[in-house]
Amino acid sequence: MYANASLGRRGAPGPIRSVEGMEITSTDLGLAARVQQLTKSYGGGENAVRALDGVSVGIRRGQFTAIMGPSGSGKSTLMHVMAGLDAPTSGRAWIGDTEISGLGDLELTLLRRRRVGFVFQAFNLVPTLDAIGNILLPFDLDGRRPSAIERARIDGLVETLGLTARLTHRPHQLSGGQQQRVAIARALATAPDLVFADEPTGNLDSRSGREVLGLLAAASRDHGQSIAMVTHDPLAASHADRVLFLGDGRIVADKPRQSAEQIAAYMLETESALSSEVTA
Amino acid sequence: MTAVAVDAPVLRPAASARPLAWLRERGMGASVLVAALSSAFAVVLMSTTAFISLLLRSDPFIGESETLVFILGFLTVLLVGVAVYVAAIVTANTFATVVAGRTRQIALLRLIGASAKAQRAEVARQGLIVGAIGAALGFVIGTGLSLGGALLAVQMMDLVLIDDVTTLLQPLLALPVVVVALTTWGAAWAGSRRVLTVTPLQALGGSVEPTRETVARRSGRNITALVLFVIGGGMLALGIAVGLVTPLGVAISFLGGIFSFTALALGATLVMPPVLRLVGRLFGRSATARLAAENALRYPERSSRMAIGVVMGVTLVTMFAVALETVKAVLTASSGGELDPGMATLIDSFSAIMMTLVAVSAVIAGVGLVNLLTIGVVQRRRELGLLRALGMSNAQVRRMVLLEAAHVTIAALATGLVLGIAYGWAGAQSVLGSVRFPPAWLSPTFVPPAVPLWPVVAVVVATAVLTLVAAVVPTRLATRVAPVAVLAE
Repeated sequence: MYANASLGRRGAPGPIRSVEGMEITSTDLGLAARVQQLTKSYGGGENAVRALDGVSVGIRRGQFTAIMGPSGSGKSTLMHVMAGLDAPTSGRAWIGDTEISGLGDLELTLLRRRRVGFVFQAFNLVPTLDAIGNILLPFDLDGRRPSAIERARIDGLVETLGLTARLTHRPHQLSGGQQQRVAIARALATAPDLVFADEPTGNLDSRSGREVLGLLAAASRDHGQSIAMVTHDPLAASHADRVLFLGDGRIVADKPRQSAEQIAAYMLETESALSSEVTA
Repeated sequence: MTAVAVDAPVLRPAASARPLAWLRERGMGASVLVAALSSAFAVVLMSTTAFISLLLRSDPFIGESETLVFILGFLTVLLVGVAVYVAAIVTANTFATVVAGRTRQIALLRLIGASAKAQRAEVARQGLIVGAIGAALGFVIGTGLSLGGALLAVQMMDLVLIDDVTTLLQPLLALPVVVVALTTWGAAWAGSRRVLTVTPLQALGGSVEPTRETVARRSGRNITALVLFVIGGGMLALGIAVGLVTPLGVAISFLGGIFSFTALALGATLVMPPVLRLVGRLFGRSATARLAAENALRYPERSSRMAIGVVMGVTLVTMFAVALETVKAVLTASSGGELDPGMATLIDSFSAIMMTLVAVSAVIAGVGLVNLLTIGVVQRRRELGLLRALGMSNAQVRRMVLLEAAHVTIAALATGLVLGIAYGWAGAQSVLGSVRFPPAWLSPTFVPPAVPLWPVVAVVVATAVLTLVAAVVPTRLATRVAPVAVLAE
């Protein structure tokens, strides 16, 4: 149903246009999701805070992208809008070839259910459902059983993630790392267009954190899963194929795979540049 | 340092500015309402009894007025007792949830040095204030209703015998006010037990994921319930047996009924969870149904006690209806298939009056149900946000909350109907067991229970309405939760 909600109906001229005047789709660009001239403001009048300021960026299909930036840089807001959790103040957003800016609540809900996966920092799992119940929740909400192919995929995930012995455990019986792995299994189970991970290692010890990042990287590398991860941890970002840096609601840098040292060095550099700007 | 802290006056951070600011907290309004309802009910019922006995005394043609006055007084005490009991359960539940919502704040105060005991006393004190306000309000409303009703009755029936209706304002009417205020205090104390388990560390820890509350193993209470149940059951059996010889068996049955029902109320956490689980299974396997079923059992103690409130109302209504219908059936049979219309009207109107009066307790239980669901939604904001983020639609959220309400009410309705039929039959059997019965005109007899259709339909419809009404506010709150709420701290 979302394939019908195609692009190019709106007349507003955008920067991405082909010679024939037809808008180029995300598919043409090899993108899993993209946003164009995205602005998000909170509050009004003099107290208005601009969390995103004209951001245009695409998340490449099959890649593991890290979105980095200090607190308040707008990285979480960008993820919320991209994932259809929140509406932008202005600008447009697509998941795959579906424009999500302007969709109604129900359409956004169905889109999140079927085409987006989520891994949050904490409180990922429904406490009253066991691990397998949480993994199958997107299917249950859709009122259907997983198909044979999906079933095989889920079984594979459960095994790879080492959850076979934990399927009937409830979240409070699982460690933090195990909970995140269940969340990853759920996010990957529907083979979504894009998985959004919001500080997925924020609450974990370093070993569990490394494991979780390795699993996300493997899903992208081995199965071509597109993943966008918001983080402020250079170590976490160093697992990604591409690192986007945000600052004050703008994209300030777009870099290929970086080592943790390079990422940290870049962040310190921009930080000191900012503070010298302030003192000047 | 510790000693100073313990002896220091109870810490109330927000209280210094506005001393009664806590009254606006969610749940407090409902507690005031519940106290007001039960105290107004008591005042109206007591005034009505006084009015009727005044009428009877001034009427020289009614002989057994003393007996009638005694029965009226007894019924008043019974009905008010049930209403106050249900109100106390509702209040205890409400305060338990209020405390759960305040955990962070209590932990912070503990961290600074407040003692757990002082904190609990503070919660109980708030219960006393809420109870006093509610009881006083109820007194004013109840007195107004009674005086207005009495004036109306005097004018309509042209009763010259009662010249001054204000004689109905006896000092005795202050009694329910005091009782309601004190039971609210006690209920708040009972409901605030969890204050003692709050540790100062909980102020520091990030978000503690709510795990399912394990039913506190209060074996003492459970043993009491079991013993009472055995005694009550035994007395019921004895009453029925004695009833085969003399109608006085009903007195034993009555005590047996009180004992066994108190046992059920005390042992609610033993009885209700299995019923809730069974009903939950009837909802099917869809995600919303399973989540709703699990939610009702997340705090089994809370849901069980709430369900018992509704069970009481349903049981009493059904009991009166079944007992009177059975009596009617027996009277019809023994008078050759045709019941005296006057008698039938008398029984029917008595049945209707009793049902209406018992329904007041059901309304109080309804307030508690609204409260239970509302606080359940408020405490689950993050979880609802998660479900919305993962693709639960607003319609599914709405269905889930409605099913949660239905879960408690259906379990309560089923339990109440079964109990009501059993108690109603036991009562009728002990009264009528010794009556000679056609066609053989022999006693002892077995009296088959007669279940009247319309009262049962009325109970079922009322429960359905209660479910829908109780779900309105929580549904509105639940559907307003945005998906980003999952990320809120």
